[in-house]
Amino acid sequence: MRDFIKIILSILIAILLYTTLGKIFPYLIYLFNFFSLVVIYFAIRKEEVLGACLGAACGLIQDSLSLGVFGVYGLAKTITGYLAGYLSKKIDLLSIFRIFVFILFLVSVEFILWMLLYSFVFSEKISIGKGILLFQPLSTALLGSFIFSILGAKKRSTRG
Amino acid sequence: MALFLKEKKKPFVLIALILFQFLLISVQLPLGSERNYFEKAIFSIFSPVQHGIIYFFHSIGNLWKSYLDLRGVKSQNQKMKDEIFFLRQENLLLQSALQKLKKEKDIQNSLSELRENILLAETIGLDVSNFLKSTMINKGSMHGIKKDMTVLDEKGNLAGRVIGPISLKEAKVQLITDRESGVGVFSKSKGVSGLLSGDGNGMCLFNYVLATNEALSKGEEVVTSGKDGIFPSGIKVGRIISIVKDGSLFKRIKVEPYFDVRHLNRVAVIMREPMEVF
Repeated sequence: MRDFIKIILSILIAILLYTTLGKIFPYLIYLFNFFSLVVIYFAIRKEEVLGACLGAACGLIQDSLSLGVFGVYGLAKTITGYLAGYLSKKIDLLSIFRIFVFILFLVSVEFILWMLLYSFVFSEKISIGKGILLFQPLSTALLGSFIFSILGAKKRSTRG
Repeated sequence: MALFLKEKKKPFVLIALILFQFLLISVQLPLGSERNYFEKAIFSIFSPVQHGIIYFFHSIGNLWKSYLDLRGVKSQNQKMKDEIFFLRQENLLLQSALQKLKKEKDIQNSLSELRENILLAETIGLDVSNFLKSTMINKGSMHGIKKDMTVLDEKGNLAGRVIGPISLKEAKVQLITDRESGVGVFSKSKGVSGLLSGDGNGMCLFNYVLATNEALSKGEEVVTSGKDGIFPSGIKVGRIISIVKDGSLFKRIKVEPYFDVRHLNRVAVIMREPMEVF
């Protein structure tokens, strides 16, 4: 129950950051993908099924906030959540550098999937916001590795 | 055995979720001008989330400001801001009316009606895939918002038009910087007509001006022509920043729009049918 509340709170924080930062400076929502961090964090702490389900939920929320087609972010995040849960069991994520590389890989996968789906659905080039969008995996990974290292992304019992 | 089955179940959950998302996407395709019921329903469910968040933080912000500010000064300030807002819109449309050399009496009548037909709205959402494409406002069908209504920024410059879906309290606005938008425009001083659309990077393109046309120059102001049947004529759109001849039949003319998406917090929706405005 406590975990469920934590997940809901994290999603609400992501929505809050997305909405408020988007109002203050729209380019910031190009730079940071807060929903991906929520998905990856809980997928690491729990397991891949929760990661996939949470990815689907967060993706659909992000689709609704971005006024696009429902399922584009959902699909990309479902796969990211599953991968995060699955790979985190195989990799030791105790050092901040490893967490950084791990998030960078996952956010990059999600980013590529999203771009492919977006191009397919909308049949148009994505506006990369003067190139800022391309930095999203890197900036999200930097922010994520910092937050995860503070929060302790991986449970001690699942180390190894 | 139980663990084995549990492990085997996981890929099936993933596949089921992926199939669900594919189904979801396919229900919404092809993307047409008419929104399907599914999209409308989802929009109605999720758009209040943003609305709620913005409302919540506005409430907190207002509470804090009220604590700090003198109440009378604050309300007076707000009234003046609203007054300026409406005066700007009136001024813009007045100029438009004058251009058409209407009788003074007609203009007065139009102005008195106009104030009742401008709706103040706030933007509450951005499109993360491209925030230069569309935005969401906190007014919907409950407030009389309809498709194709013109949306102006605080200074009375053209920002876009209302498109679907429209829920009770929210509506989606297509910005003029969207590649798929189209606005009938003409250059203010030379009267050269064309069709304006977004370039997807925050600028607009003044299309269909023949390469042989030498009348246009950099810095010239572009206003709506009203020929598209959507936007009223005479609304300020932007300024020409570059004209390039690339060997094709038409010139490539770039227009910098006056409205700034980063400062698009309050907008004015012209509530009447476009051609009824003047």
